[in-house]
Amino acid sequence: MIFTKPDKTSGAGSVLFRCGIFLPGTVLGLGLVVFSLSLVTFFAFRHNDGSLLGRGWTGSNFLTILTDPLYVRIALRSVILAGLATLATVIAAYPVAYCIAVHGGRYRKLVLFLVTLPFWTSYLLRVFAWKIVLAYNGVLNSFLVGTGLLHEPSLAFLNTPAAVVVTLAHAYAPFAILPIYTALESMPGSLLEAAADLGARPLTAFRRIVLPYSFPGVLTAIMVVFIPTVGDYVTPALVGGPQSVMIGSLIEMQFGRANDWPFGAALSVAVMLVIAGLIALLRKTEAGKESRL
Amino acid sequence: MKTDRFSMVAKTLACSALALSLALPSLAQAEDGKLSYLTWSGYELPEYDEAYLKAHPDAVTISVFGDDDDAFTKLKAGFRPDLAHPCYDKIARWQKAGMIEPIDTTKIKNWDNIFPIFRNLPDIQAGDGKVWMVPWDWGNTSILYRTDLLPDAEQSWNLLWDKRYAGRMATIDAVHDTPVVAALVAGVNPFDLSPADLDKVADKLREQRPLMAAYTTDMTSVEQSLASGAFVAAMTWNASAVTLKKQGVPVAFMHPKEGMLTWACGFVFIKGMKNKDLAYDFINSRLEASSGKHLIENNGYGSSTSTAFAAETPEKLKELELPANPEDMLKKTVFTGPMKQAEELAKMLEKIKAGG
Repeated sequence: MIFTKPDKTSGAGSVLFRCGIFLPGTVLGLGLVVFSLSLVTFFAFRHNDGSLLGRGWTGSNFLTILTDPLYVRIALRSVILAGLATLATVIAAYPVAYCIAVHGGRYRKLVLFLVTLPFWTSYLLRVFAWKIVLAYNGVLNSFLVGTGLLHEPSLAFLNTPAAVVVTLAHAYAPFAILPIYTALESMPGSLLEAAADLGARPLTAFRRIVLPYSFPGVLTAIMVVFIPTVGDYVTPALVGGPQSVMIGSLIEMQFGRANDWPFGAALSVAVMLVIAGLIALLRKTEAGKESRL
Repeated sequence: MKTDRFSMVAKTLACSALALSLALPSLAQAEDGKLSYLTWSGYELPEYDEAYLKAHPDAVTISVFGDDDDAFTKLKAGFRPDLAHPCYDKIARWQKAGMIEPIDTTKIKNWDNIFPIFRNLPDIQAGDGKVWMVPWDWGNTSILYRTDLLPDAEQSWNLLWDKRYAGRMATIDAVHDTPVVAALVAGVNPFDLSPADLDKVADKLREQRPLMAAYTTDMTSVEQSLASGAFVAAMTWNASAVTLKKQGVPVAFMHPKEGMLTWACGFVFIKGMKNKDLAYDFINSRLEASSGKHLIENNGYGSSTSTAFAAETPEKLKELELPANPEDMLKKTVFTGPMKQAEELAKMLEKIKAGG
């Protein structure tokens, strides 16, 4: 240990201070993370008999998840929808981050501030805004009918998986822009000049210098967007319709109407494992990339 | 070194435990002197509680649910209001789960004004002049459809299975509505289903799923979709018909040949309640004729008391298609009583909604 122990030199005030500063972390860490995760894992191995804590020990919840094709299908759908949303977000966010970092000049701060502006309203409100845009008599349909592109309003926008992807991509855009921007901002301009000196065309320079340089930022963006969207519950419920039920809704159903907490807990644990697996894969790619750089 | 670190961790833990023990009791303590009431969204209007609020200004906090099975989960998870508002079909289950306590009818001064058919419902009798539920409201569930878009709709629940209107219909996300109707359409008894019957209901629900744009209890969004023409028909309660007719939307509340569903709901005392006297006052106030009259006019639902009907003009009742005596209604409709397989149906509905 490098630091000297303050205990010996100071009195009760310091002890109090240290208790105070450790308290929130300990309460959060033990209460909200360790305890909650243990509770969920505990539930996952219980029989459901309608009582609060369930009865006996069993692995049947996990067996059902693996054997009933419904759960695998919905998990796959969640991963695909979240994957598409992540892809759309990152692809849309990259040019924005690039522009701010490279061409932002003295407006950088202002533009970044504008990017975070939608966050000043509630997430729920932004989802509802998309509902208004995509609805039967909504903004998009009115525009298409008004310009004569459609004869009658289309039902194909709202209550579809596409609506979920669009809404998620919009809602999570700043989460992707910020890490990519941070990665690009630290890139020295001299790198590009050197590339040009050595005869690289802008596209080549982008492909071989900028893209690899921003890779850690892109990876962070992917994780920051993908992890919360896989389990997103409110967006599919509001704009997705019955065809885009995702794993989050399924878990909610178990804790709600279906009244099967142990099964809901097992589903949650299974989803956590799937996400952990995917993240591990991503990390491996990251490590591979870095060793090549 | 090791022990030092250990003692530091121990000290931190002790501090946290102390802080937690100080914080918890204040969290767990419910608010005294204010009645806490858990009810359907739409039932929180102050005009239903005029007499009560006059006597106890501001002495009620209301939380709402989308469906009484959601309410049950909230209670199971530890929410403890004084008063809740489930429907009759749930009473036996709530009582079995030990959620509710008996209500003394001698303290309900309008008890005798409640229609006998509701007063004498078998599942609410707790013996000894006590009941598990004081009925307050009743109404119908049927298909609300656009008369201009479906000018010659067949008067049948089968409309909700009509492939021509795929993606332009919605149904109610509740065990006591959609699966009951599926059972009626499948020709089996919704309230007591054999395993073979359950399969038939499941098949009907699966057949219906791809046609539905939404399974929901959010009646506002259903009403908006019907008004815009996005939906041509949806399963709703009377209140939506009243709302849309008021807005001038051409809609009709169907009389399906298989029968509308009729339900009755009311107040229950939640076990461990703190404000019993306030709760009795609240129920008495809701059973006043004026409160029931507001319910009839706002929602198009029936009041449980004959006095509220007496206060209403016959023209208004005719417009709302409410018979002055609910027994006349119940001769033609299917009363939503306790469902023996409610749990199985709930699981089935959730699974089928998800695509299973």
